[in-house]
Amino acid sequence: MHIEREQLGSEVVLKVAGRLDTPNAKPFEASLMEVVTTTDGGLLVNLAGVDYVSSSGLRALLVAGKAMRTAKRKLTLSSLQPQIREVFDISGFSTLFEIT
Amino acid sequence: MSALLAESLISSLNVDARIDDITKATGWLGALAEDEGWSQATRFALELSLEEALTNVVSYGFQDSTAVPRIRIECYRLPEGRVAVRLIDNGMAFDPTTISEPVVPASIEDAKIGGHGVQLMRNFLETLAYAREGDENHLTLIAGKPD
Repeated sequence: MHIEREQLGSEVVLKVAGRLDTPNAKPFEASLMEVVTTTDGGLLVNLAGVDYVSSSGLRALLVAGKAMRTAKRKLTLSSLQPQIREVFDISGFSTLFEIT
Repeated sequence: MSALLAESLISSLNVDARIDDITKATGWLGALAEDEGWSQATRFALELSLEEALTNVVSYGFQDSTAVPRIRIECYRLPEGRVAVRLIDNGMAFDPTTISEPVVPASIEDAKIGGHGVQLMRNFLETLAYAREGDENHLTLIAGKPD
């Protein structure tokens, strides 16, 4: 897994590549929560480079999503590959997150 | 569901009860997918399901157990292009097929953290079957149903 971070105005963009699986879930969650706790704008997670996600990866996004909602900040996901989108649809996560 | 024929066994792998060995298991399965020419859908279904099942075993299977962990994964070639993966462990008895579907939450505030692994396995697999054999859990994952 590889994560690149960019600042676009008040928004942080995390470009994620690789596998969001159980072994990578903790560092992925830590990267998300680092943005949640050290910045105060929106967060866009670009998943274009992610070719695999399991429930552990979903869980990390949900933890960050709940924290952002509590803080009344915007979390957006973008550029899901078709198989990743299917995992989001089956789990109901497509309706929980704003996806562009 | 226990009648997987020995001669159709392609490969087997022993792993330890630790998170890092999940990478070893999915890597082993990925190499088999290449060798056997599985479709992308079959590979994704089995890789995801093996990871979900193994994560449960490694995280919870030996929590209240004094047994020395033994975890073995077997892969079988089935008729009509199907593939079976069997996960065998001597952890606490756990039948994931009895887990009820999580309710789709109305909002992110209502969403419960966890519980999606079995839901994903059910959706991507053709068959998810469980048996307790002696002191072992036998979980069979089958994918690759022709369209």
